[in-house]
Amino acid sequence: MITAAAPFPAAGTAEAAPVVAIRDAVKRFAGLTVLDRCSLVAQEGEILTLLGSSGCGKTTLLRCIAGFLTPDGGEILIDGKDTIPVPVNRRSVGVVFQSYALFPHLTVATNVGYGLRMRGVPATEIGRRVAQALQTVSLTGFEERYPAQLSGGQQQRVAIARVLVLEPRVLLLDEPFNALDAKLRGTMQMEMRQLIKRLGITAIFVTHDQEEALTMSDRIAVMRAGRIEQLDTPEAVFDRPASAYVADFVGASNFWNGLASQGRVVLPDGQGVPTALDGEVRVMLRPHNVLIEPAGADQAGWRGNVRFRRHVGALMEYEVELSDGASLRVVALRDETLARIDVGDRVALGLRDPAACIAFPRA
Amino acid sequence: MTRRPLLLRLVDELLSGRGIWPAVPAIVVLVVVAVIPFGVLLSLGFSDIVVSRGVIVSQELSLRHLTTALADPLYHTTFRRSLTLALTTTFFCSLLGFPVAYLFLIGGPWVRRIILVLTIAPILTSGIVRTYAWIVILGGRGVVNATLMEFGLISQPLRIINTHWAVLIGMVQIHLPIMILPLIAVMSRHDSRLEEASANLGASRLATLRTIILPLSVPGLGTGAALVFTLSYTTFVVPQLLGGGNYLNAATMVYEQVVYSLEWSKGAVTAMILMATCLAVLLVFAWLTHIGTRWTRVAQR
Repeated sequence: MITAAAPFPAAGTAEAAPVVAIRDAVKRFAGLTVLDRCSLVAQEGEILTLLGSSGCGKTTLLRCIAGFLTPDGGEILIDGKDTIPVPVNRRSVGVVFQSYALFPHLTVATNVGYGLRMRGVPATEIGRRVAQALQTVSLTGFEERYPAQLSGGQQQRVAIARVLVLEPRVLLLDEPFNALDAKLRGTMQMEMRQLIKRLGITAIFVTHDQEEALTMSDRIAVMRAGRIEQLDTPEAVFDRPASAYVADFVGASNFWNGLASQGRVVLPDGQGVPTALDGEVRVMLRPHNVLIEPAGADQAGWRGNVRFRRHVGALMEYEVELSDGASLRVVALRDETLARIDVGDRVALGLRDPAACIAFPRA
Repeated sequence: MTRRPLLLRLVDELLSGRGIWPAVPAIVVLVVVAVIPFGVLLSLGFSDIVVSRGVIVSQELSLRHLTTALADPLYHTTFRRSLTLALTTTFFCSLLGFPVAYLFLIGGPWVRRIILVLTIAPILTSGIVRTYAWIVILGGRGVVNATLMEFGLISQPLRIINTHWAVLIGMVQIHLPIMILPLIAVMSRHDSRLEEASANLGASRLATLRTIILPLSVPGLGTGAALVFTLSYTTFVVPQLLGGGNYLNAATMVYEQVVYSLEWSKGAVTAMILMATCLAVLLVFAWLTHIGTRWTRVAQR
């Protein structure tokens, strides 16, 4: 990617050095600690997602990497070099903003060429590279339009082209799909992932939407209160959450309170969930891991009454009230048997895979 | 249904928001205080009037006043002076107002609050009071001269008051808020991320100011400039007080013709020339703003 005329200095020679390394970053706003010794590493060419609810510090971390904020402590390294003293306009970091922040008074072509002009690249080369960048995001022919004449999805592609044309080392995306409607969002997520992977750019992506994180990422960093709760692949974060918080935040979860002893927790259906913990625990049961079937009133075992049900396309979702008053969400593919289960019916519950359940200490 | 009283139905129509009804009260007021007086002004300026014992005896259509005025060198000097004064005032207000608005844009909540208070507070004081304050400051024994003499920079008081400079200083100070407020209104409407985006793309602060903030401020500059120009071109308080009574601009000329020499027809003609030239300059401003904001209209297509 890096050519002789590349605006950014070439990458360090160290082979395995991570592109972005953050060590113990701290940021406080008026006494409130937003980043609390936060550390993470992004490898060459990976899409890393910062996932968390609002106020968890994900955007603050992103803004520190971009240079819009200066951390109160810790290190931010890009290609092994300390980035904190580097001014915003000299960082090899491209930001796609939530609002896209396209310059409304400039055409698509001038928007995309803006960074090259600021770097004093000759006009003919600007023209060539802008055309190439617009082709990359399939916006050839839109050069003379103004941002307000474009749809939300097109605006987003201009925002991406505008940073891609500079061939940054790191691409930062701050909730870029928020302004799009639900249907377009899904399409754009896949397109964006394919584009970033094709170009091989290292990207850090901020979102509060767990589905978006699962779609887009190579690895997900789940953030909570200024720290990283878990940093792993989407599958691992979903299947083996590091904490009850992660289990609750990523994917829908049921929590069942039980007592662990001798390396296992026994669920009401008789199956045991293996655990290293002892004493009171909360067991995470994914809704799709719970089996449901109609039950007679006299049968023993794990029983409940259906309190609510809804069709979610091909799936059925039930809310089952257990005898102890707790409720359990169950999701299953719709079939003839399930279609018969209605609100108020008594059902028998079971576990599809006990190994997929995880026990957490009860706080 | 019984017929409702006319007055109630009229009020209903006024409040309905349909057609021109809601604008009717404003139109009535405008006709009474602007359109009719303007007609009277036209009739005075374009006629020969013979008055006897306070009553108009005869009135005939005539272009005499207009042609005399246009040929009069005094008019040329006066209007050139007015125009120069108003344009310089507009220029300095833009030059001084833009940084304040920029500071408002990049400043924190406290900076913004202070700027707003400092900008609006002077407007709440009467222009005459503020102008008198300038007499105190710029006078022979005023603050400026006293300070300069205290530090030994000058041995004799500078003659500032009753000069062109005093008028210009007063004009700029009086009209500065009128420039700042529309600038702030326009500039704070834009996404604050634009500056970050610009920096992220490699622009220095100066480059961002020049390529992003300034072009986006054109509508505010246009509005501010039009307001400042209109007000400073037609004011007579500041030139009258700070110019020492012998500083004649177009507005003071109208004032003297109407109040002192009682030449109403002459005054009417002067006022019309004042208005026409003012509109001409405003058209130029509007045209410049139009060029600078082409993108806002292209975008709507």
